[in-house]
Amino acid sequence: MATEELPSEFDVVILGTGLAESVAAAAFSRVGQKVLHLDRRSYYAANWASFTFNALLTWIQQQQEEPQPQEVQDWSSLLEEGEELIYLSQSNSASIRNVQVFCFTSEEDEEEAPDTTEEEDSADPQVETEEEAEEASHKEGEEPEPPQPLPPPAQNQSEPEPPQTLPPPSQSQSEPEPPQTLLPPAQSQSEPEPPQTLPPPAQSEPEPPQTLPPPAQNQSEPESPQTLPPPAQNQSEPPQTLPPPAQSKKKISYAHLVREGRRFNIDLVSKLMFSRGSLVDLLIKSNVSRYAEFKNVTRILTYRQGRVEQVPCSRSDVFASRQLSVVEKRKLMRFLTSCAEETEEQRAYNGRPYLEFLSDQKLGDNLQHFLLHSIAMVTEATPTEQGLAATRHFLRCLGRYGNTPFLFPVYGLGEIPQCFCRMCAVFGGIYCLRHSVSCLLLDTHSNRCKAVIDSRGQRISCSHVVLEEGFVGAERKRSSTPPRFLSRAVLITDGSILPTDSEQQVSLVTVPPAAGGPAVKMVELSPSTMTCSAGTYLVHLTCPSVGSAHQDLSPLVTSMFRTPESPDHDGPSVLWCLFFNMADGSGVEAEGHDLPENVHLSSGPDAELGHEHAVRQAESIFQKILPEEEFCPPAPNPEDIIYDGDTGDTEGDTVNTGDTGDTDGDTGDTVNTGDTVNTGDTDGDTGDTVNTGDTMNTDGDKTSPGEEEERQAVSEE
Amino acid sequence: MAIRELKVCLLGDTGVGKSSIVCRFVQDHFDHNISPTIGASFLTKTVPSGNELHKFLIWDTAGQERFHSLAPMYYRGSAAAVIVYDITKLDSFQTLKRWVKELKEHGPEDIVVAIAGNKNDLGDIREVPMKEAKEFAESIAAIFIETSARNAVNVEELFQKISKQIPPLENHEDEISESFKLSRQPAVSTRRCC
Ligand SMILES: Cc1cc2nc3c(=O)[nH]c(=O)nc-3n(C[C@H](O)[C@H](O)[C@H](O)COP(=O)(O)OP(=O)(O)OC[C@H]3O[C@@H](n4cnc5c(N)ncnc54)[C@H](O)[C@@H]3O)c2cc1C
Ligand SMILES: Nc1nc2c(ncn2[C@@H]2O[C@H](COP(=O)(O)OP(=O)(O)O)[C@@H](O)[C@H]2O)c(=O)[nH]1
Ligand SMILES: [Mg+2]
Repeated sequence: MATEELPSEFDVVILGTGLAESVAAAAFSRVGQKVLHLDRRSYYAANWASFTFNALLTWIQQQQEEPQPQEVQDWSSLLEEGEELIYLSQSNSASIRNVQVFCFTSEEDEEEAPDTTEEEDSADPQVETEEEAEEASHKEGEEPEPPQPLPPPAQNQSEPEPPQTLPPPSQSQSEPEPPQTLLPPAQSQSEPEPPQTLPPPAQSEPEPPQTLPPPAQNQSEPESPQTLPPPAQNQSEPPQTLPPPAQSKKKISYAHLVREGRRFNIDLVSKLMFSRGSLVDLLIKSNVSRYAEFKNVTRILTYRQGRVEQVPCSRSDVFASRQLSVVEKRKLMRFLTSCAEETEEQRAYNGRPYLEFLSDQKLGDNLQHFLLHSIAMVTEATPTEQGLAATRHFLRCLGRYGNTPFLFPVYGLGEIPQCFCRMCAVFGGIYCLRHSVSCLLLDTHSNRCKAVIDSRGQRISCSHVVLEEGFVGAERKRSSTPPRFLSRAVLITDGSILPTDSEQQVSLVTVPPAAGGPAVKMVELSPSTMTCSAGTYLVHLTCPSVGSAHQDLSPLVTSMFRTPESPDHDGPSVLWCLFFNMADGSGVEAEGHDLPENVHLSSGPDAELGHEHAVRQAESIFQKILPEEEFCPPAPNPEDIIYDGDTGDTEGDTVNTGDTGDTDGDTGDTVNTGDTVNTGDTDGDTGDTVNTGDTMNTDGDKTSPGEEEERQAVSEE
Repeated sequence: MAIRELKVCLLGDTGVGKSSIVCRFVQDHFDHNISPTIGASFLTKTVPSGNELHKFLIWDTAGQERFHSLAPMYYRGSAAAVIVYDITKLDSFQTLKRWVKELKEHGPEDIVVAIAGNKNDLGDIREVPMKEAKEFAESIAAIFIETSARNAVNVEELFQKISKQIPPLENHEDEISESFKLSRQPAVSTRRCC
């Protein structure tokens, strides 16, 4: 498989395989544009990627390595009359920083756990990479006594020169934690209680008919406020002395995590899909949805006053809720019904804080908290009209697929860009990872980019270029704000923060701002999402950066979980965790950069929970280039594709196979897609309420009959 | 008869005849200049197997293999994978191991693997001895068959062999809580009219 040359003519060259670029790639390819989609990394999805545990360790190692100075190759010999080069930034533009890793569990299994995946382990090439990672990190540590996979020693890799927006990472010196972090937590050795063998087989395991483990509760919790109804958990309060569930389980070792590494799909970003958000609408409209499967987020939790509580959001939740009084239930129903429609009363609050509006509704602390932090998910300062719009959006999304407004893709969010890439490829787009572009070739007369030059010096002509902003040197960029960052934490834990008899909960946990910090969004994923191994949970925390990710998020981790710093906590134990900061893609302007007009910038993930930002970028780039064309019309169903090699073949109108990227160098036009007005409604049902024509229907003011129904449902008592 | 949907993905170097095999199987058609993956997310064909019907959802690489850029999502949830090589190209056989490894890394654990030596109508310019290929397949417990998409040799048989190796449906499957495809209509309606 000698390295082939790329074809040298395209309509659109797209660099970077993040969500926005991948959606754009699919959209262009779908309407017959020849697309070349490149990424210099070895994996898809850029900062939207998800990794197996072992691949994540490799990624971490890469982030921690010193960037190698890349010599800029001089391609000016390739220039012709009237041409100029714009070199792309090849330096590590450091969209990721402050990477810190902690392992809080023992290296090896405590006693031999019969393991079913042994052979695979030895066959797994990733493990080696992993060990290299270990070796590298052991330099600063003590005893690399090499029993196979070692837990990484606590690493504090804060960057020497912090970005302007981040306070200096002084904590890396002063914090007491590094010594502790090497120790496995003190607990857990004592109970040999359950005879279970450690790695339970994935998923297929039937749910144990066990009685509920005691809820995760913080004993230090002083007194619940008077207005608080009894805590979310409806079982009788466990005696405070009872060992929490985490202790009765055998501790999962680091070796076990490595062995089960491929069962993890750990996302770099943490977002959810609003079931009526623009991404879901786009997936359905384009039929890209057929490449992926989804789970409902099963519950919304909130963390307040040291306790995790369930937020009642669907009608059935409200009725079933034990934490709400009858009066509160009635008030909540009435409120949700009334805010569906914009009223005079609401308008009177325009421009004033939503909190003020809420508190004037006399809902009580409880409901006010839920409505502000968990349903609208806004801050206390958010204006009323925005708060109401967010609330309506939430309500509109409720009940479309499940009891919460949110979906999560099986195998993680990193699947979504890949799905759009596949759609692009299916319509002839050409894919090449590990392939970098060195420069843009500018036609000085037209001031347009007419070609790109790849890292091997191949000249590839094109009419348009889409690139992720990281390529463009700061001197050419116009950004309205200084670069912003997100703080991220990824935890692997050994239990749910609010255990129930189902082990398949997928939870969004809203954490209101504490002590002037930002609100934190937390997503807890169970193995049912195929993102973590049996017996573990994957917890993602995200907030806008104030300091480093570790500064921003580790206090919350310590207060919600058992860690070496909170050894007496009776919540789930953190086995392993990762902190890092990622550039916030929302600060980048679409226009106004010092670039040829046919070069279009996109940006990475933003801080919002949904995917509106990326979809909007892709659509606006598409419309700028092809204003007449439809954005992501449905792809034909497999059943409708008829091979028709005998006749010259009439091609369905929009699926233009004759001239799309013909990867095999031939021009056979053999796909008869027939009628392309195929809405992809494979279920054959009608009476749908989704306005698929309007993919950006995300703001809170459109209604449709189905939504009406929902609202009534909520209003019912 | 119960219909079971089975995802099957095709792997192998560019030009070995993956798309031709799919086209032969699904449409019973062969075209020298085929580029059928364009516009086709996957193709389907239903065949009886025991007292079940197996509806194969056959995924072709869409050319993403050409520059070694297949996405892990391609393998997700596959019941079987067909790794194709060209009996007239030793190279394409030598890369089998790479595809097997890729599958081990990214594919489901219980996946049925079949190895197909295609273009066996070109026996006179053969570069890969059948015996060697067969031994390799045995060493990884894979199905082995030589095919010709061109002459319709053993293509049906390939999929029949796969069908036979698919373990019978186990009941616990629906217990693994529902993941679902998005369609226009809610997959589950949680609202009950009252
Ligand atoms: C020591 C070291 C080792 C590395 N090893 C690897 C490795 O093994 N595999 C690997 O893929 N990457 C590797 N990289 C690259 C590294 O992943 C990124 O350069 C780094 O994370 C900066 O990312 P960014 O988000 O700032 O990229 P950005 O510049 O913001 O790029 C965003 C997206 O565009 C892509 N992209 C950026 N520039 C180009 C270009 N010129 N041509 C094509 N695509 C481009 C990126 O891959 C990404 O998808 C390594 C970097 C270093 C310093
Ligand atoms: N002689 C012969 N040629 C074949 C056979 N199968 C495919 N081909 C040819 O091999 C080339 C590549 O086939 P294709 O299906 O596109 O390969 P893919 O890249 O693996 O999908 C085409 O020219 C086919 O006509 C076969 O069984 N016999
Ligand atoms: Mg092909």
